[in-house]
Amino acid sequence: MLLFRSEEHIERWCVRRGLPHGGTMTPGQAWQLARAWYVDKLDVGWRRKTVEEAEAVFAEIGLSGPFWSLR
Amino acid sequence: MLVGDSQEFDRTIRLHVFQHTADTGVVPQSQDIAAALGHPLDAVEASLRRLAEGRVLVLAPASSSIWMANPFSAVPTDFKVMSRGRTYFGNCIWDALGILALLGADGLVDAVCGDCRESMEVEIRDGALEGEGIVHFAVPARRWWINIGFT
Repeated sequence: MLLFRSEEHIERWCVRRGLPHGGTMTPGQAWQLARAWYVDKLDVGWRRKTVEEAEAVFAEIGLSGPFWSLR
Repeated sequence: MLVGDSQEFDRTIRLHVFQHTADTGVVPQSQDIAAALGHPLDAVEASLRRLAEGRVLVLAPASSSIWMANPFSAVPTDFKVMSRGRTYFGNCIWDALGILALLGADGLVDAVCGDCRESMEVEIRDGALEGEGIVHFAVPARRWWINIGFT
């Protein structure tokens, strides 16, 4: 997951590597995702999120569709 | 070691790895963990392999060295995080922000544009993000763990 200056920079990066354009989000969404994912990582009872929990996090910050599906 | 015992042992190892990294900015390796906790090296390495199988952390290929204790990277990356007077490295922009989320602290992410490599800064101040740009995921979510290094 890389940070780019603009869509033009993403396009150039994808073309150079022969990769299709992937999924994008704003830095603000990435911050929301980071908080949801890692805020409890130091907790004794931490565990990995289930597929359902992870997809719920994606949906909550507006990431939906096949690209963000975990199944 | 019984299953219940190994789960408890793995929890101890996990907590040590992540807390030590949060406190120091350095991801401890098996020898450091064994010395710090007073456990045999082979038991620690077996625990790290189990944690890697459970995707709690990532070992370097064909090795028992920790490569990623997500969100932390054990090696320098393009996602440098400065917070609480320490420097950390994230595996990607998500993880760099994840370090600040894990620490519960403000801080600065010193990154570069994936294309032109021009410096890009993202700051968390009073819990709010300041910064520009677009985050791009090249790999669909269901395939992230097929090659987590590339992801």
